[in-house]
Amino acid sequence: MTQKTSTMNRRTFLRGSGIALGLPWLETFAADDSNPDPSPKRFVSIYHPDGVGLPVKEDPAWKDWSWFPRGGERNFKLTKVLDVLEPLRKEITIYSGLSHPAARTVHGHSNADQYLTGAAIGGHGAYKNSISIDQVYAEQVGPFTRHSSLVMSTNGGVGGPRGAQTQSYNRSGRPIPALNHPKQIFDMLFVTSGREAAARLARSKSALDLLIANTRALGRKISRHDQGTLAQYLDAVRDTEVKLEKARKWIDTPVPKVDTKNLALEAGPKEARLYFQTMYELIYLAFLNDSTRVATFQLGRENGGGSHDLLSKAVGLGNAHGLTHAVKKPKGWENLGTYNRYQAEEFGRFIQKLKDAKEPNGRGSVLDNTFAMHGSASSSFHLSRNYPIISAGGKNLGFNNGRYLKFGEGNEDNQAGAGIVSDRGWRGKVEVEELPLSQLFITILQRLGVETNSFAGITGTLNRV
Amino acid sequence: MKAIRTLIPIRSILAAGCLVSSTSLGCGVEIASSAGLPPLSDAREIGRANSAILSSKQVASNANGAPSANLADFKKHVAPVLNKTCIECHGPKKAKGKFRIDTLDPNLIEGGDVDWWLEVLDAMSNGEMPPEDADVQLSDDDLGKVTEWLGAEVQKASTEQRNRGDHSSFRRMARYEYDYALQDLLGLPYSLTGNLPPETASKDGFKNSSEILQMSSMQFEVYRETALKALKHVTVLGEQPKMVVYRLPNSDDIVSNLSTGHIEKIHALHQKAKKGEKPPGNITFDQRKRSVKFNLSNHLPDEGTMRITLRAARSTTKEDEFASLRFQFSAHTSNNANFSEVISKRDIPVTGSIGKPQLIHLDIPLSEIQRNPFRNNKEKFPRRDEFLTIEYQTSTRGKEPLSVHVDFMEVSAPFFEQWPPQTHRNIFFESSKKTNELEYAREVLTRFMVLAWRRPLGPKEVDPFVNLFTKYRPEFATMEEAMLEVLATVLASPEFLYLTQQDSKTISEMELASRLSFFLWSSIPDEELLTLAWKGSLKKPEILEAQVERMLADPRAERFSKHFVEQWLGLDSLESVVHLKDVALMKAMKDEPIAFFQSALDHNSSVMDFLHSDYAVVNEKLAGHYRMRDVHGPHFRRVTIKPEVNRGGILTNAAMLTMNSDGKDSHPLKRGIWMLERVLHDPPPPAPPNVPEVDLTDPRILEMTLKERIADHRNKPACISCHAKIDPWGIAFENYDALGAYRAKIKNKPVDASSLLFNKQELAGMDGLKRYLLAERQDQFSRAMVHKMTTYALGRPLTFSDHSAIDDLTLQLRKKDDRLRDLIHLIIHSSIFSSK
Repeated sequence: MTQKTSTMNRRTFLRGSGIALGLPWLETFAADDSNPDPSPKRFVSIYHPDGVGLPVKEDPAWKDWSWFPRGGERNFKLTKVLDVLEPLRKEITIYSGLSHPAARTVHGHSNADQYLTGAAIGGHGAYKNSISIDQVYAEQVGPFTRHSSLVMSTNGGVGGPRGAQTQSYNRSGRPIPALNHPKQIFDMLFVTSGREAAARLARSKSALDLLIANTRALGRKISRHDQGTLAQYLDAVRDTEVKLEKARKWIDTPVPKVDTKNLALEAGPKEARLYFQTMYELIYLAFLNDSTRVATFQLGRENGGGSHDLLSKAVGLGNAHGLTHAVKKPKGWENLGTYNRYQAEEFGRFIQKLKDAKEPNGRGSVLDNTFAMHGSASSSFHLSRNYPIISAGGKNLGFNNGRYLKFGEGNEDNQAGAGIVSDRGWRGKVEVEELPLSQLFITILQRLGVETNSFAGITGTLNRV
Repeated sequence: MKAIRTLIPIRSILAAGCLVSSTSLGCGVEIASSAGLPPLSDAREIGRANSAILSSKQVASNANGAPSANLADFKKHVAPVLNKTCIECHGPKKAKGKFRIDTLDPNLIEGGDVDWWLEVLDAMSNGEMPPEDADVQLSDDDLGKVTEWLGAEVQKASTEQRNRGDHSSFRRMARYEYDYALQDLLGLPYSLTGNLPPETASKDGFKNSSEILQMSSMQFEVYRETALKALKHVTVLGEQPKMVVYRLPNSDDIVSNLSTGHIEKIHALHQKAKKGEKPPGNITFDQRKRSVKFNLSNHLPDEGTMRITLRAARSTTKEDEFASLRFQFSAHTSNNANFSEVISKRDIPVTGSIGKPQLIHLDIPLSEIQRNPFRNNKEKFPRRDEFLTIEYQTSTRGKEPLSVHVDFMEVSAPFFEQWPPQTHRNIFFESSKKTNELEYAREVLTRFMVLAWRRPLGPKEVDPFVNLFTKYRPEFATMEEAMLEVLATVLASPEFLYLTQQDSKTISEMELASRLSFFLWSSIPDEELLTLAWKGSLKKPEILEAQVERMLADPRAERFSKHFVEQWLGLDSLESVVHLKDVALMKAMKDEPIAFFQSALDHNSSVMDFLHSDYAVVNEKLAGHYRMRDVHGPHFRRVTIKPEVNRGGILTNAAMLTMNSDGKDSHPLKRGIWMLERVLHDPPPPAPPNVPEVDLTDPRILEMTLKERIADHRNKPACISCHAKIDPWGIAFENYDALGAYRAKIKNKPVDASSLLFNKQELAGMDGLKRYLLAERQDQFSRAMVHKMTTYALGRPLTFSDHSAIDDLTLQLRKKDDRLRDLIHLIIHSSIFSSK
């Protein structure tokens, strides 16, 4: 008997770019699933670079343009940055006081790499990352769907070490290339042809058959004791064979038919609003059709540059990264706040869509079965602390929304590092206490059904969530 | 199955030694006391004279016929002693520790209580039972009766169980072995196994142990993937691709041996120059110029070998001055998004002189290093450049410090020594059958399979693979491409991945070849070993002996020193230490015990050198750490040391002391456990669950010294029984701090490194510990060495059934003056090595 976990791993030899091909394991898993609710559980994370605006309390801009809400857990008040989410108030949770301990003194430009991994990537020299939360879940749930995960970013590819353009990292800590052209993503999801993949699978099948025969011949020559050891090898080959069989089934299963009429599949980042909405729409469609249950999306990259830096054009502002540097210029906080507000607005639109969609084969809305998070690995200027995070949905997974959850100590007003526009901030001593974001990740993973109590070397869950 | 425990404390040495010679006392061993340990200089000789193993008559190997349990002696001599001594607490009235002695089956050969009897033997000979405060006491005479009978029965039962053969070295290769095997088989000069999951270690620290080497479908898939990738790396298709070349301007082209026909373009390697001056055509490294960085732009290909060639000379050739070069590859794609990686496996020493400069070659697989992911972009941002940096490493100072001159430098990629490369020709060799594709395919497959599976093959075994080739062939443009897919399948077979053995008591000649090569090379046998085995002559003692010597002289034998020592001593834990920031020092620390072992192996030194030696094996970095002078350069060498240095042996190696510290200070508990597990092979039981933590918020505890804190913790009833056996060993190391530096004081107080062992032996610091080990524990340590190395050699956990074989090997080792190289020969010639 081989371990269940190993059979559920991603099939690296079947990987495609951006989308890892998933396999239908329904029969096998159905037996294990004691939960009678057939609703799929989903995870999606949206990342935005450059953090948010955090003026000091004394600054006149503080009242309207400081990102974090005011007030308590239930009676919180949103500032102008997030007031677009007011209609969804009961569906969202806002967090403060969370960050990854290993990156708290790393420059904000380097830290997109570790937002979903929590790895100690450091600021220079040799580089090593570790698995991201979405891929931990994808390992488990990937076999249920055609694609184990959908990895997207506006810039595409993997980016450079400490300059990530993907949010997803595999078990070995290697980046999974992100897709950025809507057309390419759509084709992958809904127009796939599998001739090449089928030929590759057929070759593997012949090789496995040969190895099984070869192993049996060896088995006849060895002792009973050693046959037990060899049986484990045989199980591994058989498991692989079963996976191949299922993979072939996916190739034979027709892709869902999706109407492209309202999709701007040729949109690029320069048409910011349209592009942004199209990318969100693709995640929505992928979820609705159960093509995947895991998605990540990175908007832009830390440190600006490139066409994605024009996303802020959507609100009539130029050069998104520049906004963080210009907060002390006239209307500086307002401009950055306006851009963050726009990001929240698009996230809200996406959430609303998930909320309005009834779960096709299950309970409640698609949103009720989806944990969606939106955030950045910096709060204010280049400061890798107090990540601004919003989550939405997940009611059927046990998430209780409509709350502002403050964690840690000594930073009740989110003033630590506020107002800074120089590198003084990120180099500064960590003076307030924050909790590891990995504890939120562990909570999420557990509610998604992953049996784990540790992530990135951190153990334990987060209270109150 | 319980592993063999090897407690040979004072009392058991006394008991065993004396009983065999039928005298009650006067074997030359004094019962441990605070006084009476010989000085370090004499301890080894005196300890050897005290050896119970050497003074006892060899246990007669069992005579023909099935052995039977000696129940008569049990009834007559042993049972009365047990009834008198043990039954009060371990009998029908009380069963302390849930253990009753009166219900144990005295038939060790057929009964099921051998493990319990071993515990009894350990506890009694160790002086743990009966406890000091018991009403009854045990006379030496009575103790002798029990241990003599038990010892003999254990021997018989062990031999008997061994003959039943319920053990096996059938296992898959460990990850590092697979790595080497691929490299050796394919001639691949680098590792491609990064995607394989790391191996866990067995309870006694070994990663090549049959009990822990599992297989999963994920792993199986990575094996297939890795094999195909490796095969593609060592073979080529079509015409030789053109090379991109970078060269220092004005440097002598004659030095280059690249054929111009294969060069696509030559770019200049530009150094920074002052305004208006031409970039220099040579490089001089000295005290001021410690590195040079070249921008390679984005011309390098995605894959293939990048060869870096330099002609270098040093200004002086004095032996105490050292210079070497280190190569780094890096990119800086945007602000704060940068990386750099050292791509030279080790620093390359510059040894050439001005009159006789040295040609340095460094080959780097471009697909395996961190590259700039933006290099092929159209846009200029993020930046696309890649950089090569050479760092100059030297420690010379003074008026005229050494400098290094480079007058030629060239970078070329993809570089090929010849076309097609030798690695390609090894697989797709020239043959008269080449005209007939199918016949040639069979020939290629047969040769490859014999080497990969390490055994001769019949045509019927090759047939299915030829058929697979036929099936694949139409899908590929060339014969070679289809063949690589088939060869990858050959390498995914258990015949490659596993160390197989047929069902018989002794292993075959072919299996012996593999066992030898996995022991000494951590890899598959070469053609010479396979040929000898095929001829049936490898088992001949003189040939075997010569082969072992050949293997030990081969560079691949360095893997033996590295992996055995790393696993034996648990050196992996050095890498999880948080308080050691100096990477170069960590590397030197990790290398030291390996170099020490290698030196002992080369000199065929006594294994007692591991406990103490009047030399150290160090390099400059480590010598600096130990405050030793006049050691220059990064290579390790034997240096005679004075007692004041407080080193010698492996116990005082910085690696042991550092990894057994807690991030700030020494950690006597860790050191004690390490000592028991790794050196004495007497692992303490695991800590019970829910042990109370040391409460560091308690002001009373905060005021205590570390030693007092340990004593405080130990005196809690839940803790005392275990800690009393562990802590004293670790406290003896207290003169060494968290990085292994020697210290006489802690916080201005003199270090108190004196401790009292469980058997009331007093140890005065490291000196006392070494004296005690050498004077009283040589038998235990030599048996521990035999046990560890045999475990590694066989790749399986040793069990009770191996008990007598280990005893026998220990005796032979001791008779051979405990010499390390002899131990390897002894193991390889032993019956345990050639049995399944």
